[in-house]
Amino acid sequence: MAIFLSFTVIGLVAGCVYALIATGLVVTYNTTGIFNFAHGAIAMVGAYAFWQFWQGWGWPAPLALVMVVLVLAPLFGLFIERLLMRPLRGAPVDLTLVVTLGLLLFLVGLAQIIWDPSEVRNLPSFFNGDGKRIGYVLVTYHEVVAVAATVAIAIALRLLFNTTRTGIAMRAVVDNADLLAMAGGRPIRIQQLSWMLSSSIAALAGILLAPIARLDILLLTLLVVDGYAAAIIGRLRNLPLAVAGAMAIGLGQFYISGYANADWVKRVQYVIPMVVLFAVLILLPQDRLRTASFTGAVAPRVAGLKASLVWGLVLVAGTMLVSTGLSGPNLRTAANGFALALVLLSLLLLTGYGGMVSICQLTFVGLGSIAMGKVGGDGGSLLGVLAAIGLAAGAGFLLALPTLKMRGLYLALATFAFAAVFDQAVFTQIFGTGGNQTVARPNIPGIPTGSDQAFLVLCSVVFAAAAIGVLAFRRGSLGRRLVAVNDSPAACATLGVNVNRTKLVVFTASAAMCGLAGVLYGGVTKQVDANSFAALLSLVALLLARIGGINTATGVLLGAFTFALFPTFLPHLPDFLSNQFLLTGIAAVSVGRDPNGLGGRIAQGAEKLRELLGLDRKLVSVPVSSDDGTAAAVFLEEEGRLVSAGH
Amino acid sequence: MSAPATEFAAPAGTERRDPHAVVEVVDVSVNFGGIAALTDVRLSAREGQITGLIGPNGAGKTTLFNVITGLQEPTHGRVWFGDRDVSGLPPYKRARRGVARTFQRLEVFGSLTVFENVLAAAEFRRSWSNDDTPARTVAAEIIRRVGLSVVADARVDSLPTGLARLVELGRALATRPRLLLLDEVGSGLSHEETEALGDLMVDLTRDGTAILLVEHDVELVMRVCDRIFVLDFGRIIATGTPAQVQKDPAVQAAYLGAAPESRGGPS
Ligand SMILES: Nc1ncnc2c1ncn2[C@@H]1O[C@H](COP(=O)(O)OP(=O)(O)OP(=O)(O)O)[C@@H](O)[C@H]1O
Ligand SMILES: [Mg+2]
Repeated sequence: MAIFLSFTVIGLVAGCVYALIATGLVVTYNTTGIFNFAHGAIAMVGAYAFWQFWQGWGWPAPLALVMVVLVLAPLFGLFIERLLMRPLRGAPVDLTLVVTLGLLLFLVGLAQIIWDPSEVRNLPSFFNGDGKRIGYVLVTYHEVVAVAATVAIAIALRLLFNTTRTGIAMRAVVDNADLLAMAGGRPIRIQQLSWMLSSSIAALAGILLAPIARLDILLLTLLVVDGYAAAIIGRLRNLPLAVAGAMAIGLGQFYISGYANADWVKRVQYVIPMVVLFAVLILLPQDRLRTASFTGAVAPRVAGLKASLVWGLVLVAGTMLVSTGLSGPNLRTAANGFALALVLLSLLLLTGYGGMVSICQLTFVGLGSIAMGKVGGDGGSLLGVLAAIGLAAGAGFLLALPTLKMRGLYLALATFAFAAVFDQAVFTQIFGTGGNQTVARPNIPGIPTGSDQAFLVLCSVVFAAAAIGVLAFRRGSLGRRLVAVNDSPAACATLGVNVNRTKLVVFTASAAMCGLAGVLYGGVTKQVDANSFAALLSLVALLLARIGGINTATGVLLGAFTFALFPTFLPHLPDFLSNQFLLTGIAAVSVGRDPNGLGGRIAQGAEKLRELLGLDRKLVSVPVSSDDGTAAAVFLEEEGRLVSAGH
Repeated sequence: MSAPATEFAAPAGTERRDPHAVVEVVDVSVNFGGIAALTDVRLSAREGQITGLIGPNGAGKTTLFNVITGLQEPTHGRVWFGDRDVSGLPPYKRARRGVARTFQRLEVFGSLTVFENVLAAAEFRRSWSNDDTPARTVAAEIIRRVGLSVVADARVDSLPTGLARLVELGRALATRPRLLLLDEVGSGLSHEETEALGDLMVDLTRDGTAILLVEHDVELVMRVCDRIFVLDFGRIIATGTPAQVQKDPAVQAAYLGAAPESRGGPS
């Protein structure tokens, strides 16, 4: 009984924190239509800021609390509304994803710079952890505060939304911002208010959570992601349902940890919210078939066979040439760059062409590395390579089956939940705590791969071949089918295409590429551990692909190498920028807005140059009629064929 | 080719089917959260004929197309292709039974060229039929037939709406359908282009293709249709030859007689 009661108390407290998190998410989603992935990171920064004022600078706790929750957090909310969120009004889901994921990385990076993670900090509970014994159970005042704060906020929000004019207006915004504007409401004001409110609530949740969990940047950010499950249970709209879901998750988690004996079952407790999130996403009714595209912008033209062959040869030859002058660590850095580029290439296929978002590519990479290590053995037999590809492909296939019907935000959340489950339960179980796995480099008969230099060249060959293959696929009949399915699933279905099967094949192929990348990735350092495949890295991969350009091979190569070479740049950067998460975040919310990324800009520049030089293109006018009765359209003519039109 | 008028009006409430029908919907109703978009609709289209489906904005024409192609599950009712009940089949299986359509709200493959749009559809057909005519040959012929040769290599998302609709038509034709559903394919076209489109439709029916045509251009509808169904507020209010429908008092009251502005006008 005592055990039951004490776990009920902890479970309720966890549930309350999840409820707070879900509430903040639902508020901004409903008033602005943006699902804020960075919500957890805001909570984490809130907890650290509180620590700084209270423990760091010795402010009294209540004053520090007011400062963080009622002053700094709302200001931060105002700031991100103006800088990041307002320009997103009416933007496609993929852009809101990139921006909020970028903000998440930025905040993680910022926190790592300000509060050095290698230093241990401790955020005590309120009232020194004192409490009152009720029957058998000690209930701390901290826990009482957490529950009371949640209840108070829930009641306050209910009153706000149901009785005040502002609150009713807030509910109306998401349904029809323009209508509200006409009726004299002020959407901007209301959106500002909702970002202030949700930042405040997030900061409070972080402050309440940190003493119960641990003051750790990544842990807090991910724990808060658990609250997303509750928000999804409420279908991002229904607050009472979200709160109920939060309580169920919190209680379920702690009952399991209380009664389970086996180590692996205990581990399950951390992934329950993710499993719930995943399950709810699968059960949620999805939209009917309709147009939905991740990239949304005019993609650069796909390189032809000759161009891509030349590009591949130049890449490999260039790598050979450069590798002769590189030292061991630099050779490994470059090899790592190609492994990462292969991961990004799998996103080019999946997301750039197929419009499906995945935030779990590193999980497939991890499976590849593990299979190579276990099956390939010390000699690095080629069977290991096959096993790596096969295992990753199998996992991709199994993940794709239930998620096929999901799109945009839901698919992003489901894949992230998948990555988090592997991160927190499966990989830790496989490697053991603090353990690792040795991975031999593949041993190809007749070709030396043992030296760092030879291995780098091998990596460049694998990447170049994969890139040429992906481009050839895109130009061929299957590639056309994939692009068509992305452009209009509805039209494809009415033309006899089994849309789900097409997606399944591509998802599996993309996972298989990650498995191959896992072989290279493991071969670089010859040893991997659970941290090598953290869920956060999958998120980094998606953003890097977007920064470099998610629809050109040059783009993904650029994205991968800017990140991989970071340790090389690091000594030359000013301190306040010396964090790769921070820089990736900044790049994502700036360059990443354009789906064609850096690669697209390069392609655009090349096109401009050709035009300036007057190479084989001229404008012609063709008589056509259109809706508004204009009688001519202007086309670009190339070698006697019309290639693009403006009107 | 037109049959006597008495044959059109199926007795209400029975399951008897039109024996000449390539497609027949029987007592189909669709509700969107309490709003009835279609109520007990019964309609058929016949081989080698152009069947018109007209009605004011919001009458439920597009919804009916969605029901036939399987994109919208009806609340009630069945859909037959020939003598086969396809009500439970997903859209792609229905397409493989010979139904193709165009979309009123464009659903083109915007990042492909005009030629590639049609080529993709021809390749789709090759993948599920046993017709092995090279897809490129089929695509080239269709591009010529719908008059898109001059813009064949332009990306579709850069085309004016009128031309994009023709791309949808070409794409649908590339699957060699036995039943073609056209949802306002003529809007955005000039007078001459509309004429040509009408001729093309008539031409298609010569090979036995059945066409179900939704069109706001009354002149075109009256010229090419063998039979017309009139839909108003989700119900069929009249059926018959163009001449019969034009004279029908209910139709005049609901549609032809009413000033277009008062119903929102053609879209
Ligand atoms: N997905 C949907 N959800 C809710 N209501 C819908 C949906 N689709 C259509 N409707 C409603 O059903 C009714 C019929 O719409 P539909 O588009 O079928 O009409 P239509 O005859 O094609 O009109 P138009 O001539 O404007 O194309 C309309 O009132 C419309 O608002
Ligand atoms: Mg319509």
